[in-house]
Amino acid sequence: MKGTGIISGNGDQQRTLVVVFLRGGADGLTLVPPVGNSEYYRVRPTLGVPEGDILKLGDANCGLNPAFSALYDIYKDGCLTVVPAVGSNDDTRSHFYAQDLMEHGGPVAGGWLGRFLRYRDGVPPSALSAIALGKAMPEVLRGAPAATVMESMDTFSLGSQSGPTDRLKEELGMLYGKDESILGPAARDTLQALERVEKLRREDLPPMNGAEYGDNSFSNGLRQAARLIRARVGLEAVSLDLEGWDSHFAQETLITPLMTRLSDGLAAFHRDLGKLMKKVTVVVMTEFGRRVAENSSFGTDHGRGGTMLVMGGTERGNVFGEMPELETGILVGPGDVPVKTDYREVLKPILTQHGAGGSMAEIFPVG
Amino acid sequence: MKQRESDEVSRRHFLRATAGLALFSTSSCERVEDWLGLGPKEGPVVPPSGEGIDLISHVLNRTTFGPTPLEYARVKGLADTEEDAVAAFLDEQLNPDELEDKRAQRAVRRFEAIHAPLAEMYEYKEAFLLEQLTRATLVRATRSKRQLFEIMAHFWSDHLNIDVSKKECRWLKAADDREVVRKHALGKFSDLVRASALSPAMLWYLDGRENRMRDSSEKPNENYARELLELHTLGVGGGYTQKDVMEVARCFSGWTVRDKGRFYKGRVEFHSEAHDDGSKVVLGHEIASGGGEKDLDDVLEIVCEHPSTARHLAEKLCIRFLADEPSKASIDATAKVFSESGGDLCKTLRSVFETDEFLNGARGQKLKRPFEFIVSALRGTRAKVSSEMDLVDYLIRMGHAPFQYPTPDGYPDVASPWTGTLLWRWHFAIALSRNDVSKEIKINQDELIEKAGGVAGLAASLLGRIPSKEELAAMERTGESLALLLASPGFQWR
Repeated sequence: MKGTGIISGNGDQQRTLVVVFLRGGADGLTLVPPVGNSEYYRVRPTLGVPEGDILKLGDANCGLNPAFSALYDIYKDGCLTVVPAVGSNDDTRSHFYAQDLMEHGGPVAGGWLGRFLRYRDGVPPSALSAIALGKAMPEVLRGAPAATVMESMDTFSLGSQSGPTDRLKEELGMLYGKDESILGPAARDTLQALERVEKLRREDLPPMNGAEYGDNSFSNGLRQAARLIRARVGLEAVSLDLEGWDSHFAQETLITPLMTRLSDGLAAFHRDLGKLMKKVTVVVMTEFGRRVAENSSFGTDHGRGGTMLVMGGTERGNVFGEMPELETGILVGPGDVPVKTDYREVLKPILTQHGAGGSMAEIFPVG
Repeated sequence: MKQRESDEVSRRHFLRATAGLALFSTSSCERVEDWLGLGPKEGPVVPPSGEGIDLISHVLNRTTFGPTPLEYARVKGLADTEEDAVAAFLDEQLNPDELEDKRAQRAVRRFEAIHAPLAEMYEYKEAFLLEQLTRATLVRATRSKRQLFEIMAHFWSDHLNIDVSKKECRWLKAADDREVVRKHALGKFSDLVRASALSPAMLWYLDGRENRMRDSSEKPNENYARELLELHTLGVGGGYTQKDVMEVARCFSGWTVRDKGRFYKGRVEFHSEAHDDGSKVVLGHEIASGGGEKDLDDVLEIVCEHPSTARHLAEKLCIRFLADEPSKASIDATAKVFSESGGDLCKTLRSVFETDEFLNGARGQKLKRPFEFIVSALRGTRAKVSSEMDLVDYLIRMGHAPFQYPTPDGYPDVASPWTGTLLWRWHFAIALSRNDVSKEIKINQDELIEKAGGVAGLAASLLGRIPSKEELAAMERTGESLALLLASPGFQWR
């Protein structure tokens, strides 16, 4: 029972997909600014990222914001893919509708990550297959066969609120051990997962490989996720949010610290997991990008095309698609970056790698 | 938007105030009833005494959300033999309107939003509506005396699944629950399907509202037509073709639901200019041109009377009440009654309960789904529940929150997809027995044990049989008999 057994429903694959949602509509032109684009500086006189500061991605026509220096190292190691001008076909520019559509994976019921867990190949997911780090269940996990909202490991410990229960676990092990139904093996898996979580809680080991997580809920969430991945409790999907990107006013002071937090958190996670990153993919997404031209209060308004980042897996570091020109004839609506890549086209190959098998039509039923 | 928010705030305040009043009056009413001796009588509780699950416990396991100690004793007292007692109980359950159910009805009345007329549902916040509908569903499952009716409402909610997270289903599902699922749960199958076809929530959920053919450039939306044949009536392999799906979609074109206008939102309408009025052939039946809105009734008659529909429904009912893989004999017998009775659901259910498989087949071999597990634990422990929302957290963790299944096929009704839910079943068992679920959910363990005549008696009333030597020894060793019992393999099955 002890040691190296695999609990995960997706068996030998043991892959984990981490979805980071940047709530509020992160400004794609600041996260991933265009390179060598004079129109950008004409319409963004104060907010344009100076050409010399942009971290260049080979000969791509866009680069990374200097606040992403930690992520830049990961890009250079070939572990980060940058997607400019990506988004959904929602043109309401409403946070609620755009987030909902993107988390559901189209104008359908339930979240795409929830459906992935229900329909992917292999045996049913384990009790700890999906975790939302935070206070509430996100739409993306709606309809999952098992999903837990947690803020700390204590959530799982059996009866932790009122005293020890080793005795109960022992007796449950005995009763289910004699059970010849399909619950017998399920109970053994569950007890093993519990034991591993307990061990994690007791030991509270520091991160590996010298990784240092910042003292904020986003980094702490990633740290918990890394611990659970390492403990092999069957974790297949993680959802966590980084909020506060709705930068209508004084954008630079608002989102620069957020970019640093995002970048440092992901870099610590990457370092912490080390070789395990081969079986882990992190997807960073946001409901929409923002208006190309800045407004008169040094902010930007709701737009269309935004940014996605993909870290880990077996993807080679690169830029997926390209930054469109920012001339009037090319922009959409009131002057927004057009959506050149549908977010689902980024997600589909990743889900395939994570064992979606023949279930893509269930995961993304429309389009 | 601002105006609407302030409207909503004041409405919420008003609701909260009236909800408080209703709650007060409910509890005082119940007390008056008790003083007058009109409350339920507390007879002596004699728990089951067989080594295997006895017939009464078996029938209560399968046709209700789980036995309560009192209900077990009451059913036993209905007749001299177990067989007669069970027959009398099923007679009662198949005539739900004649079963007095004031307590549960009063408890549900406080959820004002779900009783509102369709157009008014839009005045509520969608999260509030879902909360009220979910709580009402839990209250009814736990407290209603019309248990078989509630089981069937549960069954149809899956069979005609609508996920509230799709677009305006957020508001309209509560009306579908009332006007489709609950209205016809034990009625006639064809009435149920017709109500569903014209349910505003269903028109949103399966895109029927977008099915229009204003000119030859438009193609009908086939989504509802396909699910009607594949899931609601004939079933996969029921003998329909892609051509039939397209023809059914043509017949239904023009039916839509208003999505604008304060008083008209949610109203179902037939737009003849968006209807394909040519002739069609559905499953070999010709439907003449010019039928207009009558095409819908023609199609529903053809599909509801199709032999594949009888078979499909018989199989699903047998899976619900008999076994994950019911015998062909049971399915055939049920399908026959379904057909001959014209889809009379009471008669069909009666035939399920008369099968040899139901009366003499394996007992305790259907895995309780998480909702059934939680409700049966509340019923078996006579838990006092004043707020149900903490239960919903557990249901979400186990992937079984009502009205939140993402695809049209509804929550699975067999064991294997649910094996990953043990951890949270154990958590719930321990929390409930320690009164740790929430302040609003309380049980009295000492009283339960005392009334059952000891720990073994409590085990027997929860398991429907006397506990095995191992179970009894394990309970004694833990010192937490109830937690172990509710978490044990024996309590996971019905």
